[in-house]
Amino acid sequence: MKPSTVKIKKMPSRFKHQVPKYKVTRSAACINCGTCAKSCPYGVHERLEGYNKMSVPIDYKCIGFECQKNDFYCVDKCPRNALSISLNPMYQTLGDYRWTADMITGTWIMAETGYPPERKDLEYNTGNSGGGFDKLRLKFPAGQPKIDKFEISTEIPLNRRNDGRANVIISTPVYGGGMSFGSVSLPTMVSKAHCASLWNTFTCTGEGGYPEVLQPYNDHVITQVATGLFGVREETIQRVKIVEFKYAQGAKPGLGGHLLGEKNTESVARMREAVKGTSLFSPFPFHSVYSIEDHKKHIDWIKQMNPNALVSVKVSTPNDVDMVAVGSYYAGAHIIHIDGGYGGTGAAPDIAKKNIAMPIEYAITKVHNFLKDEGARDAVTLIASGGIRTAHDLAKAICLGADGAVIGTAEMVSLECVRCGNCESGRGCARGIASTDSELADLFNASHFELL
Amino acid sequence: MPKKYHITAKVTPLNLDYVYKFKIERGENCINCGRCTKVCIYEAHKRGKGDPRKMADPNTVVCRNCFRCIQECPRGALEKSLDKDFLNIGGSYWKSDMFITLWKQAEDGKVPVTGAGYRGPFTGPGFDSMWTDMSEIVRPTRDGIHGREYISTSVELGRKLNHLAFDESGKLLSKIHDTIDIPIPIIFDFPKDNLSPNVKLAIVRAAAELNTCIVLSPDHITADIKKYIKNIIPIISHKEIDRHSALIKTVRMVALDYDEEILSSLPELQDKIKKIHNVLTIVRVPATKSVEQIVSRLAKNGAEIIHVVADYCGMENDGSAGLNRRLAKDIIRAVHLKLVEDRIRDEVTIIFSGGIAMAEHVPKAMLCGADLTAIDLPLLIALGARLYEEPEKLLLFPEGLDKIAVRTVMHRVVNLMGAWHSQLLEVMGAMGIREARRLRGETGRAIFFEEIDNETFGKLFKKRETANV
Ligand code: SF4
Ligand code: SF4
Ligand code: SF4
Ligand code: SF4
Repeated sequence: MKPSTVKIKKMPSRFKHQVPKYKVTRSAACINCGTCAKSCPYGVHERLEGYNKMSVPIDYKCIGFECQKNDFYCVDKCPRNALSISLNPMYQTLGDYRWTADMITGTWIMAETGYPPERKDLEYNTGNSGGGFDKLRLKFPAGQPKIDKFEISTEIPLNRRNDGRANVIISTPVYGGGMSFGSVSLPTMVSKAHCASLWNTFTCTGEGGYPEVLQPYNDHVITQVATGLFGVREETIQRVKIVEFKYAQGAKPGLGGHLLGEKNTESVARMREAVKGTSLFSPFPFHSVYSIEDHKKHIDWIKQMNPNALVSVKVSTPNDVDMVAVGSYYAGAHIIHIDGGYGGTGAAPDIAKKNIAMPIEYAITKVHNFLKDEGARDAVTLIASGGIRTAHDLAKAICLGADGAVIGTAEMVSLECVRCGNCESGRGCARGIASTDSELADLFNASHFELL
Repeated sequence: MPKKYHITAKVTPLNLDYVYKFKIERGENCINCGRCTKVCIYEAHKRGKGDPRKMADPNTVVCRNCFRCIQECPRGALEKSLDKDFLNIGGSYWKSDMFITLWKQAEDGKVPVTGAGYRGPFTGPGFDSMWTDMSEIVRPTRDGIHGREYISTSVELGRKLNHLAFDESGKLLSKIHDTIDIPIPIIFDFPKDNLSPNVKLAIVRAAAELNTCIVLSPDHITADIKKYIKNIIPIISHKEIDRHSALIKTVRMVALDYDEEILSSLPELQDKIKKIHNVLTIVRVPATKSVEQIVSRLAKNGAEIIHVVADYCGMENDGSAGLNRRLAKDIIRAVHLKLVEDRIRDEVTIIFSGGIAMAEHVPKAMLCGADLTAIDLPLLIALGARLYEEPEKLLLFPEGLDKIAVRTVMHRVVNLMGAWHSQLLEVMGAMGIREARRLRGETGRAIFFEEIDNETFGKLFKKRETANV
């Protein structure tokens, strides 16, 4: 797909203020002359109608230290030297090692504009975790002939088995992660599906069933068969192009899922074909799978039910992930989806997120090499997730051996999630993450752009 | 199936100030419009009690960093920053966030759960440079976590036989040693700091309540504490065995401070103790440079239980310059490996302490080769103690702690251990291991950063390094 085929809409933030990186301080020396208001083109300084005094500076609009070189730099312009610029202590409270404040801000800008930030002061492509993707750097060789962006193809085929099943091709090597009905709102699911169809890629229902409103997007939806088998029906299997077996989730490998009774509302229960108000467990692992042979039985069952669908197998990243991947290949899977430990989730024990199973960077290489040695690498699609935050991460994952990636947290951040981690707290997301589809589509455009 | 071990948590708030992370301040340009009171779902913002036209100071302790008030205040009047005390507390090992999560676990006894993914650094020194494995296809041990199937966290202390010997008629010749079972792989190590009597008693009672033990020096064993003597391990010098013979008669285990004499005289010392009463002997060895040699010699000399003690940050004790000091992970692995090499590992019990700060450190220490762990500082942090590493170790107790009811203090310690126990179950459940004893030295079920990073990127990084040369 070429950069111009999806229409970009500007989607301003839902909030009045952005989170400021800089702090603009006006000292008592100010004589309210208004020079700064006239010079700053970004509207940081204001004097409201009918007021003698300058308003408090609107920090978040300031572009920061890089402004020094401009001839309108307010600090130099002020006749009384009343202005100064510093890093805002508030910025320290945004983000963390993996998702730095710069990365969150950059993702917000991309979701708003559809393009990478123009600001030069944001390190939005790499985090600060000191390892894995954050330690790897892409090398851009100098002196290479510049390739016309319109000639770059970002397509990848998902069926590499040559088995007569659907020849699914996605236009950009990334698709949306499984977030189940109940864990995200219906509008969010619909907007994800809408975005997936715009970009000719996929979104995933998660394990909570297949809401009927997604029907128009059937060709871009992956439906999940997870260990709880919630909401899995023959029709839902038959209507999609890809069915995903979820063995485990990277952020809580080996721990299955647990939907609290209070979250199991009438509509959630209906979708999951369960009794309203009861706690629902997704056990770990599939209680009917104790070997690769059992696993094959399940895959065959799906293949029987939908003779055209591709089968994806989602596993987390234990030491023997390579063996599991090869086993899945022999069992007939088209897509091996490995989900690393540092990925996102609605709620998981901190001890699991940090400590259980290996980061995705290692797992990709391990699986890629093992499949290669087994002579099977070209017959399966390897998809990585769990820690793919930016277009650079995506490119790095592909360099390490993946065919493509799945993103989840990045989607949430584009919808103005601040990663405060309170989503589990019973009261739900404090920011009411619901969405407007364009923000998501804009993020896809920006990452597509960055990838090119 | 053995009787299920269950720790009953009971929500126990402690009405004392503690560290919090986010500080919210309201600027002068606030117009008292009240918007912030509506957007903060944690109720950090309220109108003034006396004068409802004005806003009260924000209740910043409850802030959970959602940024809504910041972004929605029409005047941009609110500022948020990391609280100063939060930034200062702890140090490079005891991270600020640990204090808040330990404090919270002591309050509700629950496994800390958050939304959104992992937020920390990729790896770090010591225990932070390893991951625990899991099994994609295993027995459904998740059921164990929810209590339908039993995951045992109990461990055995004492000397074990390498093999059994029988006579011609098939009669057992070997004398089976006594061992003691405790239901969690954690014992308490008595903090040396001056504790108020209520805290001391409460921690001892918590140990009894949990069915584990606490290491205590004899002069701390006051009348009110004597009641729990079966859960107390007195620590004495080997020169004082006779002086404490009355005490030894009442306990199950006794700990001896290591000195060089013990290396050779251990068999006689243990005999002497056994003659007084049938108790197990623990030798408490500081984790020095040569700790694995010492442990190996003690083990060969018949030691039953050896307690390896690193400093409060899990570091070697005597390292010359700070740089080369080994960390817990490497100390334990070295000790374990040495004993394996000497073919004596299975006969002796190894306790490790020093720097066990979070629940995850317990299974990690065990995977590295310890049989169980001992903790001290987390117990005090649960009670509101603040620890500062710089410029030197400093432990501050909150004012008013000495007036808190023993029962409250005890419940908080029990809660903390309940949360740790549940987290241990999470890790074991994921690994498909149903007996904590089997965690010991299972390095195959751990992923070590040095090894896997070298395996994956070694070539890549090395190539670049040589290219640079
Ligand atoms: S530094 Fe530049 S962008 Fe910032 S307030 Fe001054 S003139 Fe405006
Ligand atoms: S609660 Fe916080 S972390 Fe969770 S979705 Fe909302 S903003 Fe994001
Ligand atoms: S929203 Fe802003 S202006 Fe309104 S009361 Fe709160 S701090 Fe004051
Ligand atoms: S940042 Fe969020 S939680 Fe904190 S005070 Fe503001 S609205 Fe409340």
